[in-house]
Amino acid sequence: MRKNTRPRGVLGIVAVAAVIALSASGCTRGGTNQGGGSNAASPGITDSSITLGITTPLSGAIAGQGTCTVAGVTAYFGALNAAGGVKFGDGKTRTVSIKSYDDGYDPQKSLANFQQMVSDNVFAATAGLGTPTNRAFREAAISQKVPQVLVMTGDPLFSDRKQSPWQLGFVPIYQNEGAAFGKLIAGSGQPHKVAILSQNDDYGKGYVQGFKDAIKGASNISVVGEQTYEATDTSVDAQLTQLASSGADVFFDAMSITPLAIASLQKAQQLGWKPSWFLPSNTSSPAAILGPGGAAAYPGIYSVSFAKAPQSPAFAKDPDVVKFLADLKQYAKYPDMPAFPHCMWSYMVGATLEQAFKTMTEPTRDNFMTALRNVKGLQAPLMLSGTSVDTTTDGQPAVSSVLVQKYDGKGYATVQNFG
Amino acid sequence: MRNRLNVQPQSLKPPSTGNRTVRIVVLVLAAVVLLLAPLNLPPFANQTLVRIGVYAVAVLGLNIVMGYTGQVNLGQIFFVGLGAYVTAYGVKQGWNILLVFVLACLIAGLVGLLVALAAARLGGLAIAMVTIALPIVGVPLAKRLEGFTGGSQGISARFTDAPDWSGLYNDQWQYYIILLVTAAGFLLARNLVRGKYGRAFGVVKENEAVAASMGVSPYRIKVLAFTVASIFGGASGFLYLAAVQYTSPETLSFGHSISLLAAMVIGGAGSIAGSLIGGAYYVLVPLLTNAVDPGLTTVSQGAILLIVLFLLPEGLVSLPRVLRRITGRNRDRRGAGDPQRTVPATAAGAAPEKQAIQHQAEHRAIQDQTDQQQTIQHQTGRQDQA
Repeated sequence: MRKNTRPRGVLGIVAVAAVIALSASGCTRGGTNQGGGSNAASPGITDSSITLGITTPLSGAIAGQGTCTVAGVTAYFGALNAAGGVKFGDGKTRTVSIKSYDDGYDPQKSLANFQQMVSDNVFAATAGLGTPTNRAFREAAISQKVPQVLVMTGDPLFSDRKQSPWQLGFVPIYQNEGAAFGKLIAGSGQPHKVAILSQNDDYGKGYVQGFKDAIKGASNISVVGEQTYEATDTSVDAQLTQLASSGADVFFDAMSITPLAIASLQKAQQLGWKPSWFLPSNTSSPAAILGPGGAAAYPGIYSVSFAKAPQSPAFAKDPDVVKFLADLKQYAKYPDMPAFPHCMWSYMVGATLEQAFKTMTEPTRDNFMTALRNVKGLQAPLMLSGTSVDTTTDGQPAVSSVLVQKYDGKGYATVQNFG
Repeated sequence: MRNRLNVQPQSLKPPSTGNRTVRIVVLVLAAVVLLLAPLNLPPFANQTLVRIGVYAVAVLGLNIVMGYTGQVNLGQIFFVGLGAYVTAYGVKQGWNILLVFVLACLIAGLVGLLVALAAARLGGLAIAMVTIALPIVGVPLAKRLEGFTGGSQGISARFTDAPDWSGLYNDQWQYYIILLVTAAGFLLARNLVRGKYGRAFGVVKENEAVAASMGVSPYRIKVLAFTVASIFGGASGFLYLAAVQYTSPETLSFGHSISLLAAMVIGGAGSIAGSLIGGAYYVLVPLLTNAVDPGLTTVSQGAILLIVLFLLPEGLVSLPRVLRRITGRNRDRRGAGDPQRTVPATAAGAAPEKQAIQHQAEHRAIQDQTDQQQTIQHQTGRQDQA
């Protein structure tokens, strides 16, 4: 009896699927014909609005950073929309709406999200965090001529115009950061012994490459120990023990994993090794990493930044910071002090986009890319003085200038000299 | 309940020719719809169907080893990733695409065979532990073997752009590639589980000692099921690359293996159609939760998982059966004013209940008291009411 019912169950499902497919087939392909009239507006932009899409991890291990990438842009344009919108270069004033999509740091999902963006008529993808997730839809974005701009990855591929004509990275590439620190200690004139620990991938290698290039020829700097770890490792105790025995007084720690960074700050103290540290910008959060790691025990924690840290007492009354925190709270449902710099970066992405919008003269993606590649010397809100947005150089992301900063117990302050 | 018309002859004379014609017509109709659908659907629908195909094949493999053979496998995503990497490498080298496909299946199957030869010697949960190790080893391995895998930046390979002669859009072309492989995979799997190996899988799942006493070697059957699952994993990896055109170590992260497992259980363990539903679940639920609130995807996915498991513990594939049960019961209530008819039918299995429905249909005109009581007997499985 049961055997007889089986095929009917299958048939039922097939039949239902067929009905769904048939009923959905009423929709036809249209609206995606690009390259028609040059003045025809691209999808996602009307005379009164423009829609941007963000695919970013909103769940999983890096949900904190991912949430920030949405919150910053949303806050920035939320405030502008409340004031009426952005006046575009073609004379029309448009409101900016943001659609966010969770990819959970899964490349397959970020591609799916991109495809959905296209079907949702999104003008451009922006601000998404993650190298694999951005790479997953990079080629699709190129072939469909959809801008994928000001994304949060230090992967240089996104800033190479020939290979990535519809892309642009926002944050400094890894090499920029490593080089800034290398330059600082090379310029100190003092003899320093450096130990290096790096993640065994393009991230860690990029930092180390930038650092080594910067100290090349500096006779006062010697690298006395070098170790790597895998991004999947849960402990770097062995590497730290080894490096501690090298007697280095400077520790260049190119690490992207939050828990590992905290654990190594603690472990080195247990070993009695107290060098000056360098930490990359995305693992140097005072609240999320340095505090729990007990960083105050070290003579100096250095990182690089181009954003004002809202936690720092030095910026507590800064008008940019005050407005930023208020916007986050009011428009992005993010009432807390941002734990990750991605919130600030994403806010600057908003400012950079606004600048491009102001100068684009036609409501097309083509024209937008031209306008976006023409932003120079923009001092976006929250940017430290001495850094700026510059999208005009091939091979460089929108922000390539960084300043070395030192932890002062609560936040960071820019330093000119090492020590 | 139009089905009722089919039920009667089926139960009276099992190999009914009329029923077969209906089946063939429905199958042909479905095939035509599946073939024509991409020409009329918007690109996003095609792209979504493509991804459903990719994961349906992966879930299907998992179903063979877990649903049918009862061996816990938490490493299926490793074989998907392996197939994807083999495909990416082959495409980069400019090999013939058919060769690449065969290699993706073969290499995944070979690795699966090697693992299974060792793992199947272990009992129950130990197999699960071995399979957990696969993606955990796989991710750092993919990062280190940069020459093959492109390291942590991943590797892209495009080979599924529609050729000019086809006159199709890329998404349509991809759809047909995936439809071809997926349909073939499902057909093969269906034949496998319905034949002697399917019966052997079932016996091994129920009781290994019984299997051994019947001359079926549980060890061999487990190795076979595991290898077949790996081959399907490799094929799914090939399709993954056809659809996504990019793979990175993130592809084979352990969490996705658990998601595949959840998709299989939700679709229906031990069911071919359930695998297809599982693939659809894997792809559609993130889309759905994204539409609800992108900030709460984990919570809403967990909620959907719990709801489905509570309402349909046998998976979504049991939905028609459950619906029939419910509608059948409702009709009973309406049919006669006898309050005893509302006795819940939970104690009875699906088969006697269906009998009850048939009885009703046959004797609807007469409907005497005896018949009603007979029905109740079937429903409740109790004799004392007669």
